Amino acid sequence: MIELYDYELSGNCYKIRLMLSFLKLDYLSKKIEFHPGKEHKSEKFLDINPLGQLPVLSDANLILRDAQAILVYLARKYDENNVWYPIDEPEKVGFISQWLSFGDLITGSSSAARLHDTLFYNEFDIEKCRERAHTQFRILDEHLFFQEQLNQSWICDGAEPTIADVACFPYIALSEEGGISRISYPAIRRWMDRFKRINGFVVMPGVFPAGPE
Amino acid sequence: MVSDLKKIWYPIASSADVPRRHVYHAQLLGREYAVWRADDGNVNVWENRCLHRGVRLSIGINEGSELRCQYHGWRYANRTAGCTYIPAHPADAPARTICNNTYPVKEALGMVWSGEEAFDKPTDFKNFEKYTVLRPIPINGNISIIKKMVSAKYQMLGHVTQDMKNGVIKVILKNEEVILFFIQPQESNLSVLRGVVNKDYVDSDRVVFLKLHNRILQRLRDDIEVLSERENSDPMLVQIARVSAELSEMPQKSDAGRQAVLKVRVAEKKNTASGICSIKLVSLDGQLPTFQPGAHIDLHLQNGLIRQYSLVNGPGETNFYNIGVKLDQLSAGGSEYLHKHLREGDVLACSVPRNNFPLRRDSVKTIFVAGGIGLTPLLSMARALDVMGLNYEFHYFVQNKDHIAFNSILKALKKKPMFYEGLSPKNTEKKLNKILLNPQNSMNLYVCGPGPMLEVTRQVAANLNWPDSSVHFEYFKNAKVIDDSSSFEIELARSALSLKVASGQSILDVLRANSIDLPSSCEQGACGTCKVPVVEGLIDHQDVYLNESEKKKGNVMMTCVSRALSKRLILDI
Repeated sequence: MIELYDYELSGNCYKIRLMLSFLKLDYLSKKIEFHPGKEHKSEKFLDINPLGQLPVLSDANLILRDAQAILVYLARKYDENNVWYPIDEPEKVGFISQWLSFGDLITGSSSAARLHDTLFYNEFDIEKCRERAHTQFRILDEHLFFQEQLNQSWICDGAEPTIADVACFPYIALSEEGGISRISYPAIRRWMDRFKRINGFVVMPGVFPAGPE
Repeated sequence: MVSDLKKIWYPIASSADVPRRHVYHAQLLGREYAVWRADDGNVNVWENRCLHRGVRLSIGINEGSELRCQYHGWRYANRTAGCTYIPAHPADAPARTICNNTYPVKEALGMVWSGEEAFDKPTDFKNFEKYTVLRPIPINGNISIIKKMVSAKYQMLGHVTQDMKNGVIKVILKNEEVILFFIQPQESNLSVLRGVVNKDYVDSDRVVFLKLHNRILQRLRDDIEVLSERENSDPMLVQIARVSAELSEMPQKSDAGRQAVLKVRVAEKKNTASGICSIKLVSLDGQLPTFQPGAHIDLHLQNGLIRQYSLVNGPGETNFYNIGVKLDQLSAGGSEYLHKHLREGDVLACSVPRNNFPLRRDSVKTIFVAGGIGLTPLLSMARALDVMGLNYEFHYFVQNKDHIAFNSILKALKKKPMFYEGLSPKNTEKKLNKILLNPQNSMNLYVCGPGPMLEVTRQVAANLNWPDSSVHFEYFKNAKVIDDSSSFEIELARSALSLKVASGQSILDVLRANSIDLPSSCEQGACGTCKVPVVEGLIDHQDVYLNESEKKKGNVMMTCVSRALSKRLILDI
């Protein structure tokens, strides 16, 4: 049985919950109390992940940390159709990796702003976090606008979404909890509607469903 | 200065920003808007605020004909922004006063235009029959600095620029194509630069052209933002407008009786079945008020008669009222007039839609039983449930195939209706016994049709243990002979008045004579409009609107036909 070290309000854990749902995989959610218990910094959890970060996935003998790494693993191991991470298309794999890193950059900006505003992480420079998020959102909005011009719906070319979309979605969808408005990013807002209509999409607190197309 | 800008039409979105089933988030002069395109193509520009708890409607759900708030599911109709359903009050029809603020909207040059007070005609731009809309660029800066910088930038690139009215910049490119730039003042230090060129670029040329100007404008944006960084202005003040006075104030005292406040024109009249015509009415002045499924209007005919007709409109069909009229062989002049004398183009007066036959949308299953022209209110209800994907069955009893009305609407339902043609009363009863077998918790039955059919349906439902509260019906008319021989007193608890009702007078007549303007519609005890709560006294029910348990309970009455068995009634008005 797949086990996910999980925290309900974590966008990075949400990436994995989304992927598991898209792939229709059963799993056991092992709740880690991130706030206020700081269980992810407990000795017990540090034995599992010395970085003290969520999520961690355990599957048979494998223990894997880092949301992006887990997405790659799940897609390679369980996606029989080979669409979420099409390993035999080198260009596409290159682009997916590029946007996986971008997804991690958004964690550093939008997620940090959210932790500051909602979970009292006062050590972050909130204005800098928001500014970085807006710079990143501008880049993604421009990219998605021109993807639409080429009749492309997703971050990477192709008829189907990839793990790049999964890696970018959560902390964009949660950005307003960190005071980062998306009013200036209409192409991102349209992409979010498309993402929410993927078969198997699940919500988390602060992320709302879209209606039928 | 801002107040002058409110009168100007500004583009607030590209047309491509409002694709099917999306809600766009816009802002103009500080005010936020929820902008959404209904499936019929109409673009709505609304206050971005649910009337219930103030949540942004831009995170709501565009269901194609209605916008649903994400928070508690209040539904607002296309065009009117009137609330059509409140899930927490499933048995009630929302009041007409629950209506969001709407703003002027036009679509032109591939963009959606609005302005808080933009009531005049928008400017017509010549030589823009063909166009390509540039990627809009949001810029942290105010409109005057952006205007200056756009002109400077394009002049520097060797193009010619001209300042036009309302802050529009015209750029004549070296190849003689013309770009118009509009600067949408979003907030005090945030604007959107929107450009459109007078050529229809397609395919790869289009992407090359869009990328070229996107690059120029993003560089320009970065330059402007360096300059604007030093500016720090307060955000624009926005007042959320109250709903219109007509909706928010208590109506004037009057004894005018049934009023026809809407003027409508017959836009379409055609036969929809043997002896049944479909009439579409459009407004002569402005937007028709919101209707809910089950609602009816009073039509005031040119021959002085007043008749009630249910709307068959589907959700979001808010630019006309559609009714079905059956020619009654014993017509007292109403249906005969509409069938024989009414022409397309004629002007009629009608009431606002009233809903005394509200549809619950929290049923596990809804069963509709329609007989003949009784189809009309039920069809409107079924269309609403059909769009929402809720579980229902539609059973339609007709004399024969030729009597099937609104067949094209019936065919468009995803859930196929069941038709029963030419059944004898006995076989109808048999069929109903099958349809209504095994009522479950949270199932609801809606019935409308000729009197005898309604009676038998209600009887069958009662025999099969349907609770009274789950059986909803509407009679066309009250066939009972009204006994108005009694005389009694009424006391009005809230108005502190005591009045005498003599034989031959109705309670409604007496109230009107004393300037208490109770709404009414059919005035024969069928529609439920003149219902009032009763505090004390025994009621002599003579209507066909209330069901048996409601009548037994004795705390509401129809003032048009019902009277008192006791000497005195205390009414809660």
